[in-house]
Parts: sequence; C-alpha cells; structure tokens
Amino acid sequence: MIEYRGLVKRFGDRTVLKGLNLRISEGEIVFVLGTSGTGKSVLLKNTVGLLRPDEGEIWIDGREVSRLSEEEYLGVRRICGMVFQHPALFDSLSVYENVAFGLRRHDRLPEELIRQKVAEALALVHLPGVEERRPAQLSYGMQKRVSLARTLALEPKILLFDEPTTALDPITTTAVNNLIQELSRRLRTTSIVVSHDMICALGIADRIVVLDQGNIVAQGTPREIRGSEVPLVQDFLAEVPA
Amino acid sequence: MNHLAHAIDEIGRTTMFFAALLKTMFRRPSRFGDVVDQTWNVTLQSLPTTAMAGFFVGAIMAVQFTMQMRDFGALGYLGGLATSGTLREVGPLLIAFMLSGKVGAYTSAELGTMRVTEQIDAVRCLGADPLQELIVPRFLGIVISSSLLLGAGLLMSVLGGMTLGHLFAHVSPEEYVRHIPTILTWPSILIGFAKCAVFAVVLATICTYRGYSATGGAKGVGRAVVTTAVSTMMCLVVMDWVTSYLAEAVMTLARGP
Ligand SMILES: Nc1ncnc2c1ncn2[C@@H]1O[C@H](COP(=O)(O)OP(=O)(O)O)[C@@H](O)[C@H]1O
Ligand SMILES: [Mg+2]
Repeated sequence: MIEYRGLVKRFGDRTVLKGLNLRISEGEIVFVLGTSGTGKSVLLKNTVGLLRPDEGEIWIDGREVSRLSEEEYLGVRRICGMVFQHPALFDSLSVYENVAFGLRRHDRLPEELIRQKVAEALALVHLPGVEERRPAQLSYGMQKRVSLARTLALEPKILLFDEPTTALDPITTTAVNNLIQELSRRLRTTSIVVSHDMICALGIADRIVVLDQGNIVAQGTPREIRGSEVPLVQDFLAEVPA
Repeated sequence: MNHLAHAIDEIGRTTMFFAALLKTMFRRPSRFGDVVDQTWNVTLQSLPTTAMAGFFVGAIMAVQFTMQMRDFGALGYLGGLATSGTLREVGPLLIAFMLSGKVGAYTSAELGTMRVTEQIDAVRCLGADPLQELIVPRFLGIVISSSLLLGAGLLMSVLGGMTLGHLFAHVSPEEYVRHIPTILTWPSILIGFAKCAVFAVVLATICTYRGYSATGGAKGVGRAVVTTAVSTMMCLVVMDWVTSYLAEAVMTLARGP
C-alpha cells in the first residue's frame, strides 16, 4: 500500500531522513515513535507531497509518487488524508465550511451531498450539530476532532496522523485514541500514526516502528517491541506501567 | 560579506515568489469574490487614516507654498502646486508607508500564523492552491485598494489645502481649484497612480512572502512581521528614487526636447 525505499531528506547540510525503508500493507495501523526532531513529521509531509525527498522512492497504491508534479499530486492527496499536529482549522470559516473545504476543492460536489457528508463526518468524531460554530468557540480537543472530521469527510484510503494526542488532556487522549482505532477498523483505512505515546501504541498498533535520527532502529508487533533490547525502545518502555 | 550574500539571497527568493504569484494569477485566476473581500477589508481598514493624513498633507502643502509664493504674487497657482505635489510625491509614499505599517504587518502576521499552525499545509492537502486562494487575493486587495486610497486621500488633500489656503492666505476655494487642471496634467496623474501601484506591488509582495515563508512557531511569526517592516521601508525608499527618476525621464519625453 505504502512503501518507502531509501528515502533521504536533507535541509541544507542537515540530513533528516537517512535512507529510510518501510513497507506498510493495506489496512495496517502502524505507529511511528521517536523523540522530537527525528523527522517523523518530515516523513508524513513527504508522503503527501508537502515536502519532496532528495533521494529514494515513495510508492502509494502501486505508483511511484515522489516525482509527480504538484497538479498530479492532487490525486495522491485525495486518497491520502493527513491530520496535522495543530488543528489547523481556518479561523475565518465556520466548522461547516472547514469540513466542506476539501469536498469543494477535491470533488466539487453538489451542496446537498456536501451537507450530508459534513454531517456524517462530524457524527463520526462524535460532534454532531456544531456546524455553525467558529473554530475559536470550540475547545482545543473539539478543534482536533473537527480537524479529523475535515480529513475523514473525503473518505481517504490512507490516514496519516501527526501526533494526534499531543497537548490533549488524558481523557480526550483516550477518546482520540479510541477514535483512531475505531475509524481505522470500521472504514478499513491504512493508518500511519506518528506519536511518542508508547502506551497507546502498544494498545492500538498492528506494528510499531521506532525512528532515531532518521533511521529505523526497531520495528515489530507490540509484543515484539515489548521484548526489544534497543536502548531507545527501553527508554520508551520505561514509561509503560507493567 | 555574509549579510550581503543573505540579502541578495532574500531578494532572489522574493522575486521568485513574485514570479510564481504572477503565474498563478494568470493561469488559475482567484475567485472574484475573494479579491473583492480583500480589497474591501484593506480599504475600509485604512480609509480613516488616509483621509486624515490626506487632509493634513493638503493643509501643510498649502501653508508651505503660501509662504514662498506670496512674494511672487503667484498665489493663484497655490491649489495646483499643492495638489500636484501631493499626487506625484507625498501621496504615494505616504499611502505606501501607512499601508505597510497597517496592512503589511497584519498580512504577514496572518499568513505567518497560518503557516506555523499548518493551515497552509492543510489547504494544500485539501486539494487547493494556497497561492491562488490565499496569496493572490491579498496581493490584489492591497494593490487595488492603494489606488482607491490615493484617490480618496487626494480629494481630502484638496479639501485640506482649500481650507487652510482660505484661512491662512485668503485664497478663495474657487481660486484654489481654478488652476488645479492647469498644473495637474494627465501625465502627472498617471505618474502618481503608477508610482502608488509600484509601491503597493512591492509592499504586497514582501508582506505576503514573509508571512507565507515564516518558520518556527510564534517567534517565527514575530520575526516575519519585523523583517516585513524593515525590508518594506528599505525597498520603498529605493523604489521612490527609481520611480522619480523614471517619471522625470517620461515627463521629459512627453514634453519633447
Ligand atoms: N521545512 C523545514 N526546513 C528546514 N528544516 C526542517 C523543516 N522541517 C523540518 N525540519 C527539521 O527537520 C528535523 C525533523 O523535524 P520533524 O520531522 O518536524 O521532527 P518530529 O520528529 O518532531 O516531527 C528538525 O530538526 C527540523 O528542524
Ligand atoms: Mg512533528
């Protein structure tokens, strides 16, 4: 479904991704763990073409995409939904217009269908009836969920989450994690979740990948990761209650 | 040396951004409604300041010219000189400085915030082109409204000059306006508006570019606003010199040898 082959990304003389190889199959939930600044967001942004790799290939749905033009990339972004670390909602638009934004651009649907899809997407994140509010009138946790609804409205086959629970309180964190699991299973999406929350990775992931300084230092099922000897993995595991 | 290289680098990047902006403007036109909204916002935000500044510039010009022209018995030309001076030199520059302080700072902060909170990335992911939907409407809004503001400011400056001319030099309003058409020729009107448009293009490019390319959280937004102010001021002063020089050449050509 998604495959990275020898992915290299540099900024100036700093190499952030150093020849990363990773293959994710259809329907899998993969957690990518790593400390801040290791290039997790850079990996996701390369996937949706917000950044382009300097070397290597990215295969999505059987197609090498890293050298597509900006216009051709629209097709990739259509099936590959990204949920950003910030809610990234458009302040001047209502919640309705925020969720409808992608439907209007990518698909140009008639208004009736848009209204229906917006309502469905908001119901999926358990926030019905907030259409007419402004983002500023919602709590941070609600904004993150609206942001998720905005991505889900396009019914992407692939979902990329950038630190979905960072800066959320413990209760909302659990709610969002349950939502990710529930949605991935119900909508049969392939999901990559970037996080540094080992506890929820162990609970939800089919596979956990640990990144350190632009390379994969460990990967495996939650069970395999629990038994890993890699020091960084041990550091992450130290936070997990036995 | 490093500073110079950095400055040249930035000028190059800004120019490339401007080229991309123009390309987008013609290849994929923005929604008309967005442009109208932005123009309306900018004009409305700046109209009171412009009107007030216009009135006082007219008044100051009238007072200054009165002192010198009384000795020559040329007070009949007071209105004409004050108005053409305002239109060709003071007006465009003042409008540009005012817009850069108000709208330029606001625009770079707004776009910078959208950049660092990933809203611009979100726009791209949701199938839209940020240049087409965010940058071009703001750019055109500033450029179009600068001309509207220059017109409004000019009217106010005539009013200001008329009032002060009347109070200070006892030039009646009819006398004040009578010779405006004599001195304010079409080429000079054109030059005034062209100058204003050039300044607006410069400041709109800088503020949208700085905001659009902001990095590094709230601090980055602050940096974008500060560098917008500094580079706009420097570019405006240079452009004022360039446009005055060009205008002089054009006027000479128009008059003939
Ligand atoms: N657009 C960019 N320009 C320059 N450097 C960048 C850019 N994006 C990310 N970086 C750098 O790449 C490194 C990895 O960033 P990132 O992927 O955001 O880390 P994280 O793993 O915390 O998400 C950081 O050192 C960051 O400074
Ligand atoms: Mg990150």
